[in-house]
Amino acid sequence: MAILANKNPNSGSKFTWKIGSILLTLGLVLAACSSGQESSEAGSDTTGSKGSSEDNGNGEASGEPITIGSIFDLTGGLNIYGIQQDRALQLAVNNLNDNGGVLGRTVEVSTADAQSEDTKYTQFANTLIQRDEVVALFAGLTSSSREAIRPIIRENEIPYFYSSLYEGGACDKQTFVTGATASQQMSVLIEWAVKEYGNKIYLMAPDYNFGTISGHWVEFYAKEFDATVVGQDFIPLTVTDYQPVINKIQAADPDFVVAIPVGANQTGFLEQFSAAGLKEDIGIVSTNYGSGNQQIVVSPEAGDGIIASQEYFMVVDEPANKEFVDLWEDAYGLEEPIVSEAADVWNAVNLWAAAVELAGTTDNEAVIEALESGLTFSGPNGVVEMNPGSHHLTQNIYIVEGNDQQEFEVIETFEAAEPSYENGICDLVADPEITEHFTPGDL
Amino acid sequence: MDLDYLLVLLLGSVTAAATLLIATVGLAVVYGLMGVVNLAHGEFLMFGAYTTLTVTRMGVPFVLAILVGVIITSLFGAIVEVLLIKPMYGRLLDTMLATWGLSLVLVQAAVLQFGTVTPGVGLPQWSISIGDFEMSTYLLLMVPAAAVIVAAIYLLFTRTSYGVMARASIQDRQMASAVGIETSWINTITFALGAGLAGLAGGLLLPAVPATPDMGLLFVIKAFLIVVSAGPAALSGTAATGGILASTTSVTANIWGSALGDLMFFVATIAILRLFPLGISHKWRIRL
Repeated sequence: MAILANKNPNSGSKFTWKIGSILLTLGLVLAACSSGQESSEAGSDTTGSKGSSEDNGNGEASGEPITIGSIFDLTGGLNIYGIQQDRALQLAVNNLNDNGGVLGRTVEVSTADAQSEDTKYTQFANTLIQRDEVVALFAGLTSSSREAIRPIIRENEIPYFYSSLYEGGACDKQTFVTGATASQQMSVLIEWAVKEYGNKIYLMAPDYNFGTISGHWVEFYAKEFDATVVGQDFIPLTVTDYQPVINKIQAADPDFVVAIPVGANQTGFLEQFSAAGLKEDIGIVSTNYGSGNQQIVVSPEAGDGIIASQEYFMVVDEPANKEFVDLWEDAYGLEEPIVSEAADVWNAVNLWAAAVELAGTTDNEAVIEALESGLTFSGPNGVVEMNPGSHHLTQNIYIVEGNDQQEFEVIETFEAAEPSYENGICDLVADPEITEHFTPGDL
Repeated sequence: MDLDYLLVLLLGSVTAAATLLIATVGLAVVYGLMGVVNLAHGEFLMFGAYTTLTVTRMGVPFVLAILVGVIITSLFGAIVEVLLIKPMYGRLLDTMLATWGLSLVLVQAAVLQFGTVTPGVGLPQWSISIGDFEMSTYLLLMVPAAAVIVAAIYLLFTRTSYGVMARASIQDRQMASAVGIETSWINTITFALGAGLAGLAGGLLLPAVPATPDMGLLFVIKAFLIVVSAGPAALSGTAATGGILASTTSVTANIWGSALGDLMFFVATIAILRLFPLGISHKWRIRL
């Protein structure tokens, strides 16, 4: 019976009447021949079909829900981030709906699991846009997944939100980035570390575009803050033996190491770095340590004293963060600390909602124009501001230090750090036709 | 380049070789000796790592936890052999497909069971100084550990009646059956032994390579290449190729960088297979 009732909203009104009357009859029969429990069930069915016929009558403007799409990695190697991104999106949508929805309409989500594969992103982006007619898409973790989606977004012209820290430089009219960029994080981190440790830097980065572009920014800001990069090593993802890197670091004798390998590479390296006893003399800083809760994977000894810089950590002391963490705890518990990508998604959904409210419609062009109006939002990581030209956020960057309890402590907050590279090179208000992925060579 | 640096380079190479050998020796038994292409071998290693980790977190001392990890991984290996491998002896492609499927299942099962973030054991913070350089003592301990493991397997297969029966069952199954060897059970035991060695690797390396669901992938490709290049003498050949490939990688990485080091591993593998198409041990007189 429940199945019959659920089908109602999709069918024509005549059909609805027929089913409605069948249901009514059924309900009457059930009510007649059995107890009160079933009659109340039948009763709820009738109200259900009544509600749906009301929907049919009122049309799109007020009653109909708004559907947004989400594609994250719920399974596979990347779900360390994807599950939290998806949870943050659901939480943000529920929170919007509990507070009256957007434009008075409820928000619904069409979700897909990209299974940590770029091809699935392409496939599901098409499905969500064409089948479910989503009005905005929230998707992606890796840069390759974002690049797989962008052409589809450009073709369909719906706003697309990318919520992850990344190497920076993505620039086109429909894409909005809520994570921090490499230059945004690196500028404050290098400034802080040169002051704290000294001016000899060793760079240790993964051997693909995130690593090499971040490496460029390390060199760039080293120059700006009168430091030198005394050595560097790029690590393929398959390496498990870090003795060679550790030897090279000792031979180069830096004041601090910028260590940004990813996943198991990072935790493995930090264990071996710490076990070799190097932490006493050499500082270690990172822009991505903690983004996947690495502070819990490494042992307390290895994690003690590691410096990280990101746009969000669960420990940051912002009024909106307390509310966010409480909501999260009620929904999912806090066994796993909340990662920065979750806060990025929360901000993305809320910025989208604010833009729709401002535009008064879900129409693509109007929403994008509203997003380009210098929109601000008080998120878990403080006030964020969408830059009209670059579609990147001006937001706080926090410098934290790992303690021996596998937790972080905030030691400095750089307020309203600008995505200065993106702001300098990408102005979509002046030239809406740009579709680029800028790399620092373009400067 | 001074003497300290050369010594560090040498020790680094030997350590790298020992670590790789520990991760590979299980495959030398299962694939090199038995000829079973077990694509889930890396996941056995992961299984051992998580088992050791779980047992450690229950308060059992680490060394004992490794032992428990080995036993449980062996039992798991035996179950897999009976249910999945046994019905497919002699069907290479089917075995590959089935074990690949098993590896996918195990990776995802680990994600579901442990999540993607599991606190690690942590490397003991002991180091030794060589001139201006410091090295982790635990990693250096992998060298005697690898030597003990290889020697133990060698003795097991050459000096015990189980070892003779195991090799007989693999070399000529019908003949072995004819003289009264329960080849089916012997093969199960040998496969379980290989799985147990993978579990041992997972446990021993756990402090240096934290447990993650996809950690098997880090080792399994290199392990297969080493065993293939080893040739007919599964154990000594594996020790030799493992040593050559790991030290080539380590020295290259020390001098030029990790990316080039990783590249050299594969270049060296190609060179070995070009020079010895049937494996490095093809003409050796030693047979294990």
